[in-house]
Amino acid sequence: MRKDWANALRVAGLVVLLSSAHSLRAEYLRVELRVYGLDCELCARGVSESVQRMPGVKSVDISLKTGLLEIVLAPGNNFKMSDLRKRIRENGFRPMEATVTARGEFSGPKFQVSGSNESYDVAKSHPKDDGPIELTFDVR
Amino acid sequence: MLVVVTCVILFGERSVRADGHGPLFGYSTTLLGSGDASIGTELDWRSGVYMLGPEFAYGVKPNLQISITSPFHLDHGEHPTGRYMAFMPGDPSVEFLLGWRFLHSSTGIATRNEATFYVGVSALTQEVPRADGAPLARQPGLYGALAAGHVARSYDVWVGGGYQHYARWTSNVDDHQTDSLLTSFVVGWRPSFLNGDYPKTDVRFFLETTAEKVGLAQRDYGPTSGDGEHGGPPPPPNPNGIVVLPNSGGTGVFSGPTGLLTHGNIAVQGGILFALLDEPNGTQKHEHYRVAAGFTYYFLGRHK
Repeated sequence: MRKDWANALRVAGLVVLLSSAHSLRAEYLRVELRVYGLDCELCARGVSESVQRMPGVKSVDISLKTGLLEIVLAPGNNFKMSDLRKRIRENGFRPMEATVTARGEFSGPKFQVSGSNESYDVAKSHPKDDGPIELTFDVR
Repeated sequence: MLVVVTCVILFGERSVRADGHGPLFGYSTTLLGSGDASIGTELDWRSGVYMLGPEFAYGVKPNLQISITSPFHLDHGEHPTGRYMAFMPGDPSVEFLLGWRFLHSSTGIATRNEATFYVGVSALTQEVPRADGAPLARQPGLYGALAAGHVARSYDVWVGGGYQHYARWTSNVDDHQTDSLLTSFVVGWRPSFLNGDYPKTDVRFFLETTAEKVGLAQRDYGPTSGDGEHGGPPPPPNPNGIVVLPNSGGTGVFSGPTGLLTHGNIAVQGGILFALLDEPNGTQKHEHYRVAAGFTYYFLGRHK
């Protein structure tokens, strides 16, 4: 009986360890980024195929008329906004403002995206519950 | 000849024109992103002169691009053989071209202002026969060009100019080709009914105008052997001691429509320029029009 309890505790500990490791993964969920300079189908294709190859990217949609790049990310990704902006510049275009949906928590006045080193000043009220939340915010 | 040309086009279908993204004859800026590449081929026809030009281009950095072009004659003619296309040598040769987009300003959705400086070096791969004597010394070729443009969703405007210098490293050849100058002005237009969103076949039309001045051939080592004109004696030297060979060089202005279609990773281009001014020196043949067609395949999004 005592041995069963010990085994159960070990399994529980492992589960906690695994879930905490999972929470270290970045939790960007969706990004809508305005891109300047895209004028033709080949330009859009170059950006789309390049972004599609970034780790964690589930789907990419791009509009030449609005210059809007829409990215849906798989849960538990290693995605970083700084990498995305760098990728756009490498394609010869200019990343502008973005609307981001991500999981994270407030650290003081900043919203820290879970599992990443990226945080943002978010013009939203600090929630009373300090746990991780899903938030959509604009990034300039 | 048509069979040969057709076979070559079909054979080359997997390849591409490296700059098949804008004007066909005139100047434009670099386009490949970092790590992107393109391969292609282009067929040029100048009133009896057939050239086929395989090309490869690679984006080293977002604003730095290298390309290699190696056009060769399927059939040659007696037109002035200086530079008459922005991104392809006028003679059968291999050219390495480096493009630096030193100005790159994305000013809004689908709009950019850009300028690129090009520098290239080339070497002949085939001799260019001449009716009046031995082939001219014309290598290595050194090329410098500047292109600038405004790009938008419904229209483009490009201007550019380039200077082609021919050195004379060829031994045992007294006659050499002097330098040539090429300029271009291009207006691009995407009709509103073709202005669809990605992913969709993209079609653009251009009105391209090129102006060139091809230098005269010279013999500056003294009138030794060879002919001045169809077996006749060479003309006397000018006050600088240079003998100018009469059937060489010329001036031309050409203008006409070209089109660009892109679908997926493929671009197809074609167009025709008509002579507005064609003044070849001596007895060289006149050109009435120039035709070009190109096919390009792009390798995109290959960032490490």
